[in-house]
Amino acid sequence: MSDSAIRTSAGVEGLAKAFSALRIEGDKPLPARIAAAALTLAGARRVAIYLRERDRWQLAFDSDPGSGPGDPPDRLLDAAVSHRGLLWVPLEAEGETHGCLALEGLEDDGPTELAAGLGLIFGAVLAANRLSRLVKDAEFEIKARLLELESLYDLGLSLTGQLDISALADEVLYRSISLTDAGKGTLLVFGERGAPPLSRSVGGDILPPEAVRTWDLPAGEAAINNDAANVPTAGVQLADCQKCLVVPIAMPGRRLGVLAVADKESRDGRVLDFTPADARLLALFANQAAAAIDTTRLHREALEKERIERELELAAAIQRQLLPRELPRLAGLELAGSTLPTRQVGGDYFDFFPLSGGRLGFVVADVSGKGIPAALLVSTVHAAIYLQIDASETIVELVSRIDKHLQRFSAAHKFLTLFFGVVEPGSGLLRYVSAGHNPAILARRSGQIERLSATGVPLGLVPNGSWTEETVPFGPGDLVCAYTDGFTEATNADEEEFGLDRLERELTSDLGLPARELSDRLFRAVAVFAQGMPQYDDQTLLIVRREPNS
Amino acid sequence: MSETCKVSVERRGDVAVLSTDGYINNQGGEEIAREAYVELEKGVRALILNLQKTRIVNSIGISILIEVLEKVMERKAVLAFCGLTPTIDKTFRIMGLAQYAAIYPTEEEALQAVGATA
Repeated sequence: MSDSAIRTSAGVEGLAKAFSALRIEGDKPLPARIAAAALTLAGARRVAIYLRERDRWQLAFDSDPGSGPGDPPDRLLDAAVSHRGLLWVPLEAEGETHGCLALEGLEDDGPTELAAGLGLIFGAVLAANRLSRLVKDAEFEIKARLLELESLYDLGLSLTGQLDISALADEVLYRSISLTDAGKGTLLVFGERGAPPLSRSVGGDILPPEAVRTWDLPAGEAAINNDAANVPTAGVQLADCQKCLVVPIAMPGRRLGVLAVADKESRDGRVLDFTPADARLLALFANQAAAAIDTTRLHREALEKERIERELELAAAIQRQLLPRELPRLAGLELAGSTLPTRQVGGDYFDFFPLSGGRLGFVVADVSGKGIPAALLVSTVHAAIYLQIDASETIVELVSRIDKHLQRFSAAHKFLTLFFGVVEPGSGLLRYVSAGHNPAILARRSGQIERLSATGVPLGLVPNGSWTEETVPFGPGDLVCAYTDGFTEATNADEEEFGLDRLERELTSDLGLPARELSDRLFRAVAVFAQGMPQYDDQTLLIVRREPNS
Repeated sequence: MSETCKVSVERRGDVAVLSTDGYINNQGGEEIAREAYVELEKGVRALILNLQKTRIVNSIGISILIEVLEKVMERKAVLAFCGLTPTIDKTFRIMGLAQYAAIYPTEEEALQAVGATA
């Protein structure tokens, strides 16, 4: 075999040994494995490995860490050199120095063929390792950018279905901190209807609650402070952080909140500067968050409106059930009664009660408030009247019993006005009690008008209230008209009320009409007066007339 | 969620369950790695990371988890995740962690899948 063949064979064998040595203790870091391989192959007493990182040498491994061999010599270029009793071997590949091997205790201290071979082999290994890391880092970066895009997309999707502002705020804050690698963050959102601001933080509050009002940032733009975040940043006072990034959460012309992240982390524990790319990302996030917060609030308001409308429909249904479906027919008496409900359900009620001896009881009541509570109180009064009417000797006794019932069972601050009358055709009298109700109108056959004023306080208003019963003659052709304030307080575009005087004039202008037609005429008169203006109170009117020939 | 990530370790035979509480960032990731390497040195054949009390993971935390995963694979052991929020679940899938580590909804399912003994 020739010398050349022997050298080639030894070279291949050395190469194989070098790579095999690298596989031993494969779970150790690469510099340690290179050092171990070099120790074995070169027969050195000591070996140290330096890596070239950002144009600086870094000691990556030393088999004798007690006494550092010092930095590689400046004249280390592309060949091994002896320096300070060590052989310094550059680890190169493709013309770039990736590291350096320092060997001590070789038999021949000068540059050797073996050392040069090790330099090439381990240089290539380091280069491959570095390339692999670069590829991995690049792959990681691409995935991180994809994650940013996906997060923006997800935020838009998930937030549109979110009804809980707190959960929404958490989601926005968590994603913002995560995607900017911030160590901490705070999100402030304006409270609804004067409520205090919603505040969410990770790693401690870096914004005080008042920042929700005081921030001074151009719409849609972020402010970076990489110098001293503990001084106000674009008018936002921050605390307990070194570097920060603040972004407004706003819709055109409206502030919704403010988002701040701080102290961007690095793998080596340093606090990094926030970059314009971070600012752009956070501004995009804030835009998504603003749209989501706005949508959530609008969605909640729509649901609340829907709930109220359902409640009003229910209240209206309760009320309709309580009104008489058909009016009683009594000899000698002519009756009419109607209610015009408004959109907001009020608490109007009327009813007729045929009594013994051809008498007729009738009631018009108006409960304070609107909606379900008012409808329920009407229901209570309705039940109380039906339960107590037969057991009561007089109207005052009946009204007192209803009052006691209300005092006991109705909610606080709820009361009602009521006009209760009893027509006695036999005696030609009208008896009545008016519990704080609008004056009923007694229209004589002659056209003469009398107002039947209150004879006591509203029911359910004060404990131990008292009422008196009044009696007036009620002859053939006489008429009594009871109504609720929604009738006389109906307003037109000039905010003028229909009024009692106008009602009396309208009533007497064609008094001879049948009761039903007279009632319709009065409702029409109010509608004409109001000129289509929306009314906010129910209008109820009841008429009892004694037939002229009775 | 606590400011600093806490990691607790529970052994189920030759399986170690590491439960995190808090932000998996640099500090949190290092804490997980430290505990994971201790358990690997002790010879566990599977690591389960329960992230039920974690709501945020940043890219540094993910890179450390990738290092842990590489170490686990070098040791021919198994890594599994459980208790992930939907956001973290998606993050792990995009960042490639789910390629080599299975994700289970609950710790019980993860334990069952890796064949943990009592």
